[in-house]
Amino acid sequence: MNDLSRDPAFLRGMTRRRIGRRDALRLAGMSAAGLALAACGVQGKGVAKPTTSAQAQSAVEKYWTGKVRNGHVDFANWPYYMDPKHPELKQFTAETGITVNYREVIHEMPSWFAKIQPQLAAGQSIGYDIMVVTNGIQFGQLVKLGYLVPLDHAKLPNFTANAGARYKAEDFDPGNVYSIPWTSGMTGIAYNPKYVDTPPTSVLDLWNPKYKGKVGMMADSQEIANFGMFALGIDPGNSGQADWEKAAAKLTEQRDAGIVRKYYDQSYVDPLSRGDIWLTMAWSGDVFQKNVSDGTDLKFVIPQEGATIWTDNMMIPKSAENPVDAITLMDFFYRTDVAAHLTEYINYVTPVPGAQSVIQADVAEATGDRKKLLDAVAGSSLVFPSEDDYAKLHTYVGFTDTARQKQFENLFQAITTS
Amino acid sequence: MSSRLRAALTPYALIFPGGLWLAIFFVVPTVVMLSLSLQSGDVVSGYAFTFNWHSYVDGITTYHDQIVRSVIYGLAATLIQIVVGFPVAYWIAFRGGRRKSVYLFLLLLPFLVSFVLRTISWQFFLSDNGLLLGPLKSLGLLPQDFHILATSVAVVCGLAYNYLPFMVLPMYVALERIDPRLLEAAQDLYAGRTQTFLRVVLPLSLPGVFAGVLMTFVPATSDYVNASVLGGTSNTMIGNVIQNQFLVNQDYPVASALSFTLMALLLAGIYAYARVLGTEDVLEVAAR
Amino acid sequence: MTETQAGTGADVAAAPTSQTVPAIELDNVVKEYTSHGEVVRAVKGVSLTITEGEFFSLLGPSGCGKTTSMRMIAGFEDPTGGVVRLHGEDVTGVPPNRRDVNMVFQSYALFPHMNVWDNIAFGLKRKKVADAEIRRRVGETLEVVDLLGREKRRPKEMSGGQQQRVALARALVNRPRALLLDEPLGALDLKLRQHMQIELKRIQREVGITFVYVTHDQGEALTMSDRIAVMNDGLVEQLADPREIYERPATKFVAGFIGTSNLLGGTVQEVAGDTAVLALGAGDRVVIPRGGTVAAGDAVDLTVRPEKITISREQPAGDVSVVRGTVSEVVYLGTYNSYMVVLADGAEITVFEQNAHDSSTTAERGDTVWLSWQPRHSFVLR
Repeated sequence: MNDLSRDPAFLRGMTRRRIGRRDALRLAGMSAAGLALAACGVQGKGVAKPTTSAQAQSAVEKYWTGKVRNGHVDFANWPYYMDPKHPELKQFTAETGITVNYREVIHEMPSWFAKIQPQLAAGQSIGYDIMVVTNGIQFGQLVKLGYLVPLDHAKLPNFTANAGARYKAEDFDPGNVYSIPWTSGMTGIAYNPKYVDTPPTSVLDLWNPKYKGKVGMMADSQEIANFGMFALGIDPGNSGQADWEKAAAKLTEQRDAGIVRKYYDQSYVDPLSRGDIWLTMAWSGDVFQKNVSDGTDLKFVIPQEGATIWTDNMMIPKSAENPVDAITLMDFFYRTDVAAHLTEYINYVTPVPGAQSVIQADVAEATGDRKKLLDAVAGSSLVFPSEDDYAKLHTYVGFTDTARQKQFENLFQAITTS
Repeated sequence: MSSRLRAALTPYALIFPGGLWLAIFFVVPTVVMLSLSLQSGDVVSGYAFTFNWHSYVDGITTYHDQIVRSVIYGLAATLIQIVVGFPVAYWIAFRGGRRKSVYLFLLLLPFLVSFVLRTISWQFFLSDNGLLLGPLKSLGLLPQDFHILATSVAVVCGLAYNYLPFMVLPMYVALERIDPRLLEAAQDLYAGRTQTFLRVVLPLSLPGVFAGVLMTFVPATSDYVNASVLGGTSNTMIGNVIQNQFLVNQDYPVASALSFTLMALLLAGIYAYARVLGTEDVLEVAAR
Repeated sequence: MTETQAGTGADVAAAPTSQTVPAIELDNVVKEYTSHGEVVRAVKGVSLTITEGEFFSLLGPSGCGKTTSMRMIAGFEDPTGGVVRLHGEDVTGVPPNRRDVNMVFQSYALFPHMNVWDNIAFGLKRKKVADAEIRRRVGETLEVVDLLGREKRRPKEMSGGQQQRVALARALVNRPRALLLDEPLGALDLKLRQHMQIELKRIQREVGITFVYVTHDQGEALTMSDRIAVMNDGLVEQLADPREIYERPATKFVAGFIGTSNLLGGTVQEVAGDTAVLALGAGDRVVIPRGGTVAAGDAVDLTVRPEKITISREQPAGDVSVVRGTVSEVVYLGTYNSYMVVLADGAEITVFEQNAHDSSTTAERGDTVWLSWQPRHSFVLR
C-alpha cells in the first residue's frame, strides 16, 4: 500500500468521485437550482415507455433518421472519473476528428436533475450531449419524462461486442434502451479494526447490540432500504411494498435500540477513522482513498447476504445538439484498450471484462511501483468482481411509478429524518 | 420636472433599488412558493394548482415532532446565547477601553470561516475520543461510552455557537450606547453595583437583547446544518426535513408547505414576542 | 439641617455662617491621571473649606480642575494626594453611593427608561425609604421644582429646562448634606439659563442645602454664589466673595478671566509714604494704591476695570491717575460706548462710558484723549 500510495495515478483513482456528491449541496443550502426549478413551476410530462422491441426500434429510427456528425461533443461527467490529462479523449479526437468538451459538472444527482429539468421540459439544449447519471430515482424520472434519446445499437458495435453480459441486462434499463454504463461501484460495510475485533461478515453485524451507538447507516433511502432487505434476506430487485415495510421495521428496530449513531451522507469516513463509529455502511472507494491519503487501516467487506452495486451511466439528453458524435464517443469507451486504460486510472468496476487481460498484459510490461499498482488493479475484486462476488451484488430498488416511489421514500425517510 | 415634483419623488427613487431587490428576490419567490405549496402532482407528471392544502396537513402531521423540536432547540440555543453572550457584550462595552474594536474583531474572527466548516470542526473537537473527551476519558472522569456528538446537546450548543455574534453584537451596541454618566448617577443615588446593574444597565440593554433574540431565534429554529453535522438519529430539525423534501424527494408542495408553516409559526412567535416585550413599558417594568 | 423641614420653606437658610465643622473640606488635594503613558496633574494641590448652607462656586476655564475637584467630593475619583472631608470625616475610599452628597450632572443623566416620578424616587428607593414617605417626599420635591402633574412623562418628552428641574429634584429629594452641580445650566439657552439661575438660588434658599456649583460662566458664578473659588491649571487662584473677585482680582488670571480688565505694566518711579507712582509716558501719572508694599525700581502690573475709567479731551485735575493715548476704535453698544485707546508704550486700554446723557460720544477715532481713574479702583497684581 505504501508503494502504491506514492503513485499519483493510484491516489487519484482511489479518490472516489463521490466526494461532495450526494450531500454537499444539502449542506451548502437549499440549492439555488432547486429553488429556480420551483420558481419556474414544474411541468413534467409522463411519456409512455416503449413496451415492445418493435416500438423501441421505431422510436430509435424516428430519432436517429437524418442525424449527422457535427465534429464536436459536449460531455458532462463527475469529478475524479478521468485522468485530468484526458488521454482517452485526445486519442478519440486524433482518431475521429471529433473534438470533446469534457466538464466535471455533476456533483450530486438531485441537484443536477433540478438544474437540467426546466431546460429539458422546454425542449432546450442543456449544453451537453452526454451526461453520466447514477441508476436511481432521477434516472427513472429522466426515462419516464422522455428526456432521453433511445440509443441506436447499430452505432454501438464495441458495446455490443465487449460489454459484460450483466451490463447489458441492468434492471434499471433492460436492453440498454437509453443508457450504457460508465462504471460501477459497491455499497458494503466498512469497519475500523482498532475497535472491531471480529471482522463483520454479515449485514446483521450492523444490528449487533455489542456496537450500540457505534454503527453508521446511510441516509439515502435506496441505500438503506437495500441493507434492510439484505438483513431480512429479501432481494431488492424483486421487492414490493410489503418487503419495504418489513425492511423499514427492521431498520426502525435498529434505530430505536440505539444501535445507530447517525444516518450519514458521505461524511461517515472521518467518524469511522476517529472511532466515533466502529462500523458503517460504506462505498468501496472511500475506504481505500482514506487509507491511501491518511494512512488509516480501515477495512471494507462485502457481507455474506449481499451488497449493493450501483452503476453510473452514459446517456444522451433528447435536446442534445450532437447525438451522433455523442454515441460515437460512448462506444469508443467500450474498446477494450480504452476501457483498460481508463480503469487503470480510475480503479472502478469496469463494464468491459476484456479490459482485465489488457491490464494484465500491461502488468507484464511495467516495472517497479507502476507494476505493483497495475497488479493490484488487475487482481482487485472491487474492480473485477468474480461471478461469486457478482452473485452477492444487488441493484437499487427500481420503481414502476412515482406513487410507489413516493411511498418508498416516505417509508425510509421517516426512519432517517426522525 | 418641477423641483417640487422631484423632491416628492426622491424618497421613492431612493427606495427603488432596495425595493426592486426585495421584489425580485423575496416577494416573487415567496409568492411562487406559496403557489407551489398549494399545488398537487409530482415531478414526472407535473404540478398543477389545485388549492391542495393537504400538503400542509400531511407535512404538519408527519413532521410535527421535528417542528416542535426545532422551536425547542431554537429557544434553548437563544437562552444559552443570552447567558453566554451578555457578559461578553458587557465586558467589551464597559471594560474594553480603547481595544473595544479589537475584542469585537476577535469575537467575529471565527465567523470569517465558513459556517459549515466551523460546524465540522466541532466534530473533531467533540469527537468521542477527541480533544475534549479523549483526555477526560483516559483520566477516568467520564465513562468510555460517553459522547456529545449525535445528541441534542451537541446540536443546541452548535446552534448557540454559530449564531452567537448575532446575539452579542446588538447587545453590545445597546450596552455601548448607555451613557456612563447614568451609571455614575445611579451610584450617586445610593445604588451599589448590583442595583446599578439591575435598575439601569439591564433595562437599558433590553432593546439589544430583544434584537439579539430576533436575530438568533429565527435562524436557529430554521437551521439544518447543525442538526445534520452534529446531530444523531433523533435530532432532525424541520430545516433538514424541508431540505430533504426539496432536494431528495423533489416533493415541492410539501417542502413549500412546511416552509410556510415554519414561517407562519415564526412570524406569530415574533409578533407575540414583540407585543409583549417590544414596548417601552417593559423597560420601565424592568427598572422597578 | 433636619430632614423633615426640607422643601417646606420653613428653614430658609441664613447667610453662610461659619460653623465649627465645615460641610466640605479639601485639604491639599492632588489628582493625577495617566493618559497615553503620560502623567497629567489635573488638580495640583487644592485646599478649600465650604461652609454649611453656602452657595459655593468652582469657576474656571475647561481643564482647570474644577470638575475633577467636584468628582472627588462626589466620590467618583479618589485623590492621588491630600484628603477630602465631608462634615469632618475623611471620605477617602468611600464610594459615591455611601456619601451623603448628590450630584446634578452636566446634561442631567436622567434615566431614559424611567418616567419623572421613578427618576426622582430612585435614590429614596435605594435607601429603602418607606413607600408612603417616598410618595410624600417626591410630591413635595415636584412642587419645589414646579413639575407637579408631569410625573408620568419620560425625560425625552420634556424640554431642556424641565429635564434640568427633574435632575435637580432627583438629587434634592434625598436631602443630601451637600448638592453638587456640574455645569447644570450649560445646555440651556440664554433666557432659560437666566431664569434657572434665579430658580436655583430660590431653591437653595428654600431647602438650605450646601450647593457646590461648577461653572465656566463667570456671570453665573457672580450672580448666584456666596463665595467663588477661581481655578486655573489645577490650582485655586483666588477664593473670595463675588464682589471681591470682581473688584479686587488677586492675579492676572483672575483679572483677565472675570470681566474685562486693562493691564498696565511699568517700573515704580518713586515711593513717598503711602503713595507710589508708576512711570509711564510723558505727562502720565499713575498712582499705585497701598504703595507701601512696593519699592522704587520694581516692575509692577496694574489693572483697572474699563467702567472705572473716565475719558476726557482735557487733562483732568485732582488726585487721580492719568494717562494719555489715542483713540483707535469707538463702538456704540447701546447702554454704553466702548473705546479702545492706545497708549504711548503701545498698551491698549478699553474704556466703557455710560450712555447717560445723549447719544454723542466724547471722542472720535484718532483723537488724543486723557484717561483718568481713582487710584483705589486700580490694584497691583501678583
